[in-house]
Amino acid sequence: MTDFIAQRQATTARGSGLLRGRGLAGLTIVGLVFAAGLAAPLLTRYAPGEQLQGANLLAASSAHWFGTDELNRDVFSRVLHGIRVDLLISVVAVPFGAVAGGVVGVLSTVHRTFDVVLQRAIDVLLAFPNLILAIGLTAVLGPGLTTIGIVVVAVEIPVFARLLRTEVLRVRESQFVEAAEVIGAGRARILRAHVLPNSLEPLIVQFALSMSVAVFLEGAMSFLGLGVRPPEPSLGSILNTSLNYLDANPMFAVGPLVVIALLVLGFQLIAQQAGAARRSR
Amino acid sequence: MLTYVLRRVPSALLVLLLASMLIFLLLRLIPGDPAATLAGPDASPEAVAAIRGELGLDRPVPEQYLDWLGALLTGDLGRSYLIGGRVGDLLADGAANTLVLASASLVLAVALAAVLGPLWAAGRNRWLDRALTGFTTAAVALPPYVTGVLLVLLFGVAARLLPTGGVPPGGLADRPDITVQYLLMPAVCLALPVAAVLTRFFGESLRTELGRDHVTTATAAGIPRHRIVLRHAVRNAVPASVTVLGLQVGNLLGGAVLVEAVFSWPGLGMLVQQGIDRRDYPVVQVLLLLSVAVFVLVQLCTDLVHAGLDPRVRLGSRS
Amino acid sequence: MNSHPLSRRRLLHGIGLGAAALAAAGCESAVGLQERAANAVAIPRPGGTAKLGLTLDLIPKNLFTNTGPAITALIGLVYDTLVRYPARGLEPRPALATEWWPAPDGLGLTLKLREDVRFHTGRTFTSADVEFSLRTYADPKWNGQLRSTAAAITGIDTSRPHEVALRFAHPLSNVFDLLDTVPIIDSETAAGIGTGERFVGTGPFRFVSWRPNTDLRFERNPDYFVPERPYLDEVQARIIPEKSSLLSALKAGQVHFADALSHRDVESAEKYGAITPITLEGAELQIYTGANVTAPPLDDLRIRQAIAHALDRDRIIAEVFRGTGFASSLPWPEDSPAHDPVRAARYVRDLPRARSLVGQHGGPLPVIPLTYVGNDTSQSAVAQIVQSDLAAAGIRVELDPLENSRFTKQLIGGEFRGLWVANHSWAQFSPSTLTVSAYPFNARKNASHFSSPGYTGAATAAWQLPSATGERAGAAYAALSDQLLDSLFLIEIGVYWHRWAHTSALRGIGYRRRRELDLTDAFLA
Repeated sequence: MTDFIAQRQATTARGSGLLRGRGLAGLTIVGLVFAAGLAAPLLTRYAPGEQLQGANLLAASSAHWFGTDELNRDVFSRVLHGIRVDLLISVVAVPFGAVAGGVVGVLSTVHRTFDVVLQRAIDVLLAFPNLILAIGLTAVLGPGLTTIGIVVVAVEIPVFARLLRTEVLRVRESQFVEAAEVIGAGRARILRAHVLPNSLEPLIVQFALSMSVAVFLEGAMSFLGLGVRPPEPSLGSILNTSLNYLDANPMFAVGPLVVIALLVLGFQLIAQQAGAARRSR
Repeated sequence: MLTYVLRRVPSALLVLLLASMLIFLLLRLIPGDPAATLAGPDASPEAVAAIRGELGLDRPVPEQYLDWLGALLTGDLGRSYLIGGRVGDLLADGAANTLVLASASLVLAVALAAVLGPLWAAGRNRWLDRALTGFTTAAVALPPYVTGVLLVLLFGVAARLLPTGGVPPGGLADRPDITVQYLLMPAVCLALPVAAVLTRFFGESLRTELGRDHVTTATAAGIPRHRIVLRHAVRNAVPASVTVLGLQVGNLLGGAVLVEAVFSWPGLGMLVQQGIDRRDYPVVQVLLLLSVAVFVLVQLCTDLVHAGLDPRVRLGSRS
Repeated sequence: MNSHPLSRRRLLHGIGLGAAALAAAGCESAVGLQERAANAVAIPRPGGTAKLGLTLDLIPKNLFTNTGPAITALIGLVYDTLVRYPARGLEPRPALATEWWPAPDGLGLTLKLREDVRFHTGRTFTSADVEFSLRTYADPKWNGQLRSTAAAITGIDTSRPHEVALRFAHPLSNVFDLLDTVPIIDSETAAGIGTGERFVGTGPFRFVSWRPNTDLRFERNPDYFVPERPYLDEVQARIIPEKSSLLSALKAGQVHFADALSHRDVESAEKYGAITPITLEGAELQIYTGANVTAPPLDDLRIRQAIAHALDRDRIIAEVFRGTGFASSLPWPEDSPAHDPVRAARYVRDLPRARSLVGQHGGPLPVIPLTYVGNDTSQSAVAQIVQSDLAAAGIRVELDPLENSRFTKQLIGGEFRGLWVANHSWAQFSPSTLTVSAYPFNARKNASHFSSPGYTGAATAAWQLPSATGERAGAAYAALSDQLLDSLFLIEIGVYWHRWAHTSALRGIGYRRRRELDLTDAFLA
């Protein structure tokens, strides 16, 4: 029992560990980028879809910080508004996939039959590389933000299902859970009180990695012509288009690239901090 | 052991069968029609209907499925609607190109991680540490299609050192020294993110190992640092890294879709993307089924290895 | 194992690992291999390999549809036609046929054929091959775009080996369009076309091999009927689907020729230097907005007129097509017998008028879907400009990008729910060819679900003229143009020219009127 209490205390301490060092830096970067996306209308002079007469592929200037694109739109405004797409898929699609995957993973540990069936289903999903899955799903559903969201969910479900299943099996074998079972704690309670808190770091690590995967997927799908529906901006679609116009307006590419890099860097730092906290256990 | 194998095989076959049904059905649920692509934009609806008849697309789907499955079992993979060639030949060419690209990237990634991982773990230099962190972050953050375009502009267009894309005119096997030059940029592009993940994981495992008691003891005993890293830590950190590497192979094949597009590398990624785009059912369904088959096979092998090591698994008891 | 001097120097000044590794290995540079061919000095001189970069691979069954860079390259290299139009105008010139004369009743044409022409298999070309080629072209399974014209040829007399007499069901004003289009194929090997195994014609180059998604290869036809042509020994066409990759390959000199770059890319390549554009004047394309006239609110002609007045045609031509074309309300190029500057300027941007037309419709307008091919950069740009222009006139549009195959299916099936943006061609030929061949203009059945006795009558009258030019023809074309302008089921945006780009290493590139590549006179400089 003392072991159990020690574990609980450690968890609380580790929870706040994310707010130190790299974790804090990562959270700050991601927070700032997302805040800029949310406040985009306040920070920009032009609407993201506004086609300005005669402003074709202008280079960066004080009027247009990132210049203008091939359809005379302000790239800075489009980049800031484009962050919202990544915000949506990171904050809605990834958690949705994580929860759905988590439920599948936990269900697999409840009964053997579930386990066999669910693991085979996950096998089939995992058998397709992410981008093939993206190409196929987009062909069925048509391109758009919803499709990107569904692809992210479909990619994350097997990842989190596997993770949660492994964690539940691992923690269940540890002494304090056996102890809890001895004193008659219910399955749900064990899951809530013991398994989840003790799986927090791997979950945070995976969560942060999944968010950077989501940002990557959005970009890769845009590159393959499966991105958001025009004229809506997204970081990936702006970057992909800009590669055709590097000679006229390099900031067109650099702008979205820097934002994508910042987001991925932020998520990586958070993952590293969570990983470090886990190792120090 | 044999009984265990026999017990696992039917379930693997079941996964394959289910996957084949799913693939066949899903492809036909995708809106669009290979006959329309074949007919061209100025064709009449009657012409499209005639082509559908010729391809057998007007028959009931279950009938088409059984025909396909029957042909598959006799080793006949069918013919592409749009390319006209045999799917088997297309697949063999594409698979060869993708395998060469993926293996070259794998070698590069492992080599990079093998050098950078220990450097990062052993290094006490803050700047080296930061530079390596910067490198691994950039390698993960930059999508392969961006690194690809930048590499091409730098080494293909500005410096004209390397071919901007494609495969050697004489084929991959003709002149190895030429093939390497065609391979270099796409392989680097594909390898970078994998190398970054691997470096970080390998480095961190090494650090963990270096913090262990026996290492401390060795240090106290006066054994030089680099020998400790090599002798003790590496030996323990490698197996876990190999597992991570295994997981990254999937990413490699996925990333191949992007890299093949940037470098016009005629591999499986290009074949499947184009196949779905044009609704070339015979090509796509075999490719997807192949992908499932490979995965199932890898799973089966992993399970068998585990079973070989752990009698509990073999006997079917699960903790 | 000696390296090209230029790259050797570069290797020594080496940038980065790649250079060092190459230098250390002392092996031959792949780039050097390609540059050596390019830097050989001489003017019109036989020999050498031309390297082409094409964005779209071959679809063998599409051979007769003239769609896609690989098809137009293949046809231009391997096949000949009976007659050939010059770059401008519709006065046919001899090709496989040396002279011809119409039947006295206007319902036939007799052509005299060259006697010194052999197929790539060595067999002599005769009138039977003309019949076989015309009949194959008319077969619905090949979807030849001038099929209806080929089908109107009811009799083919091949009793003399080097003379062929055609009989028509009715006067055919566009018969020379057909004879300029139909590739003369070898009957003995025709079965190999559909499977992509054999393409045998009489043209300047012989088909050697095709590796799907990789390349097409051709070699010089030593028996070509034009003496001492072609100059080139070999043509290699690489498939490079990514346009940015194709542009890089061209800039790096690894291909001599790029077929399907966007207008902006060609402009940027030109600025880069050592790359010359070829503007395909005479092979015009048209960009247009189609309307499903059964879908509200497009069933109201006033809304279609409002759209025609809302479009900023000049901006689209200037920014998307980089000024390589002109705004027009009608499809006709400037040298077409149907061209009329007054009619072509009937619809110009006039927002107040567009708004007033929308007002006359009354009531709130539903959002109109606008379908286009999503991964085509030019059409995607046009669609977004159209959306913005229509919004200014009070018409809201939702973009609906589709993959090429789905777009084609919806076009053929008439499944568009509202507007669509696409390009078409065939207006550079006899004006009647457009209305009986290009599907969007088909009077009997089209993607707009539009039909009217007036339009059908005008289209048929133009087709059944005895000649494509002259006063009577002019009146028929004016009537046809007025039908198009009044009914507005297709709202033309403008006429533009496709552009090719080539490096200074490959000279003498020619083209035919449907953008087929002609390398008969091409040579490496």
